[in-house]
Amino acid sequence: MSFRKFAVLLFGFLGVAAALDLKLPKDDKSVRFAIIGDNGTGEKRQYDVADQMVKWHDAFPFDFALMLGDNIYGGKTAADFKLKFEDPYKKLMDSGVKFYASLGNHDDSNERYYKPFNMDGKRYYSFKKGNVTFFALDSTYMSPDQLQWIDDQLKSSDATWKICYFHHPLYSDGKFHGPDLDLRRRLEPIFLRDGVKVVFTGHEHVYERLRPQKGINYFVLGNSGELRVHNLRKSRDTAKGFDTDCGFGLIEISGTQMYYQIVSRTGATIDSGSIDLGANAPASASASAP
Amino acid sequence: MAACAVALYGQTPQVNAGAALLEDFSKRVAAYAAIHKKARAEVHPLKPTANPEAIEKYEHHLAHRIRELRKNFVQGAIFTPEIGAEFGRLIKQAMQGATGPRVQASLKHAEPVRLPALHVGSSYPEHVPLQSTPPSVLANLPKLPPEVEYRVVGNALVLRDVDANLIVDFIRNVIP
Repeated sequence: MSFRKFAVLLFGFLGVAAALDLKLPKDDKSVRFAIIGDNGTGEKRQYDVADQMVKWHDAFPFDFALMLGDNIYGGKTAADFKLKFEDPYKKLMDSGVKFYASLGNHDDSNERYYKPFNMDGKRYYSFKKGNVTFFALDSTYMSPDQLQWIDDQLKSSDATWKICYFHHPLYSDGKFHGPDLDLRRRLEPIFLRDGVKVVFTGHEHVYERLRPQKGINYFVLGNSGELRVHNLRKSRDTAKGFDTDCGFGLIEISGTQMYYQIVSRTGATIDSGSIDLGANAPASASASAP
Repeated sequence: MAACAVALYGQTPQVNAGAALLEDFSKRVAAYAAIHKKARAEVHPLKPTANPEAIEKYEHHLAHRIRELRKNFVQGAIFTPEIGAEFGRLIKQAMQGATGPRVQASLKHAEPVRLPALHVGSSYPEHVPLQSTPPSVLANLPKLPPEVEYRVVGNALVLRDVDANLIVDFIRNVIP
């Protein structure tokens, strides 16, 4: 290799590393994942976000990604799945990243049979990674059966972190939709009773992190493909908002700490911070390493 | 005591009539579910697959076979006028008092959809979002077998076949 080529590669690497201002600690044996929502448009913005995810995956190798619904907009042919999911996330999937989908209002419930979404034919399901159990819900159809299921599952879970994710936000300052009050009335008491501390949702095509509501941290991220510019009407409940471009989230859970970093389509850090279970950590938290 | 007795006396016939209508509804739905199961057994139940075309074909074949097997695929075969009226009462009940504004807000929040026309036996259009059905409404309606679900479409309540994506029946103007 010539010196010139080496120098280009070196500076290229340093340039990328410098541009990627990673705020996550990359602790040993931590649970690392990404979040995307309202992504399945097949348009340039989705591809830009996916490319950005690949870059950040090099710096922060996450094992899986949560999908907050509206995974495939419009048509549902094989060509649509290719354009709106397989192509944009090919590099990530080739790197071994698994996707765990939840259903949005633009999704066909038969997407649950699509293997790369890892739903195993179920509209709502759970899976465990290290000291975290994830619960994917179908908020488009919150039947009494599903409410009973989530209550039972959360009650019987001894995970340090119980994270729920679904499409429709219980809290949101988005102008277009706003919070789903009826859904909140049904789900919030269960979350409070059963120790949920973090909830990820989409639907609003913006990013918003709300101040903890009754001790629960709500993230709305519905801008990984779709975007509604200037659609956030920030309130006193808004801890951080971003409504001028698309983005995705990176999450790391290490023991009783959850670190988050939200990244824009251009690679800028929109939001970052941590959540500490602290005194609220269940007894099992001490044995948190996977 | 007397007032209570009057109230009970006044309510009993309606409750009984309502219960009978819901029992009738459940039988009609069970009959549809049996057809769905028969059709599904014939087209082979779908297992998770990485091939989206297989999902599309499954949905299409299942819908086609159900249409062949179901003789009375007409509006009102499940939601008869009497059952429809009872559903109207149940939905109204679910939206009374403090719950009402909350449910209305949720319906608005859920990205209300309008279909140009509803046709029993046709597919729910794939480009039209599925409006969510408020949990408080679902909690007040009869439980369904997993083959079908309730969907709000504008002011109508649709009974939708989940796997076949078929409009099985509907009631117009039942959502206030």
